[in-house]
Amino acid sequence: MSDPDAYIALVSSLPGSERLFVAKQPPLSRLRLDRRLTALTPEDARVLRVLEHALNWGDYDMDVTDAQAIERCKEALRDIPQPTLRKLFLERMDLRTTAAALRLRKQGGSPSSGTFGMGRWTRHIPANWTDPSFRLEGPMPWIKEAKQLLDAEDPLGLERLLLSVSHKQLKKHAARHLFDFEAVAIYVLIWNIFDRWAQSNAQDAVKRFEHLAQQAMAGVAEIDIDGASA
Amino acid sequence: MNELVLTLGWLGIYAPMALGAAASAIGCSIAGMASIGAMTETEGGYGRFVGVSAFPSTMVIYGIVIMFTLNRDVTPENAGGLFGIGILSGIALMYCGIWQGRACAAAINATKEKPEIFGLSLAPAAIIEGFGVFAFVFALVISAGIS
Repeated sequence: MSDPDAYIALVSSLPGSERLFVAKQPPLSRLRLDRRLTALTPEDARVLRVLEHALNWGDYDMDVTDAQAIERCKEALRDIPQPTLRKLFLERMDLRTTAAALRLRKQGGSPSSGTFGMGRWTRHIPANWTDPSFRLEGPMPWIKEAKQLLDAEDPLGLERLLLSVSHKQLKKHAARHLFDFEAVAIYVLIWNIFDRWAQSNAQDAVKRFEHLAQQAMAGVAEIDIDGASA
Repeated sequence: MNELVLTLGWLGIYAPMALGAAASAIGCSIAGMASIGAMTETEGGYGRFVGVSAFPSTMVIYGIVIMFTLNRDVTPENAGGLFGIGILSGIALMYCGIWQGRACAAAINATKEKPEIFGLSLAPAAIIEGFGVFAFVFALVISAGIS
């Protein structure tokens, strides 16, 4: 258990998180966030780095294997002493394992051994591979909607659902931590979710811009320099 | 033996003041840190934050009044009563001050985002103040029975 009053000034200096999917940008820039996080003790800063590094998809190589990713998460878990942070880390692993299993099954694959991914459901999921929801509707009520979105080939909708579930999980833990290190770590993880959503919107916008630009430029070749059509 | 009993009596007289001062110091420091943090993120309303962070300072005032009420010649007969009332009221004031500071810090943190809930967000701190007043008033009432 961390000191409950360890980071009162730091937490109070962070802007509140707006509603996810409504906000166009995270509530503050990464530069400003990092400047505020200099108030963390070296040990807390190290734990936060480990946590972010293990959860951030951007820190993984594209060709990382399941075994490498799992080993990295297990290493991270060994470096996180706070029970709340360990719990939310494992909850995120459960979510990712389940989403990965849904995607693998959609592609026609199957787990290579009796276990799959990391977390509580590593044996349960392969054992219930043919069930539409892996018999996880109880602990994971969102799985039905995730499967529907995957079947409808709506990756943005699925991303939105998974980020929303992660956000809810973090908010649930945040209610029990006001000014301690866990509160700071949870804030940073929520910031990462905002950032990821803002980036996915930006990527979507770039794709749409390219599409519109190509449409607009399609007729340009037919116009000569004097303005007369070819 | 008498010396020990008399010492406890004097301890009881000064305890509400000492513990009340500690409570106010810790509580104001907790709420003050929150107000400093909030000031870096907001454009105005700083006076409100500072005002709220001073809430726990009332505990030391209650402690001083209890100390003066208990202050009398300490005898082996009244030392036990002075010790009991002084220490227990002091502990009550200390808990009230510290937790009121935390409640004020939470109120400041919430108010910086939603200024419209300023009044309502102070309700928990006000309720804790009420418990401090209970400890204060009944310490005065009970102390009237000590010779």
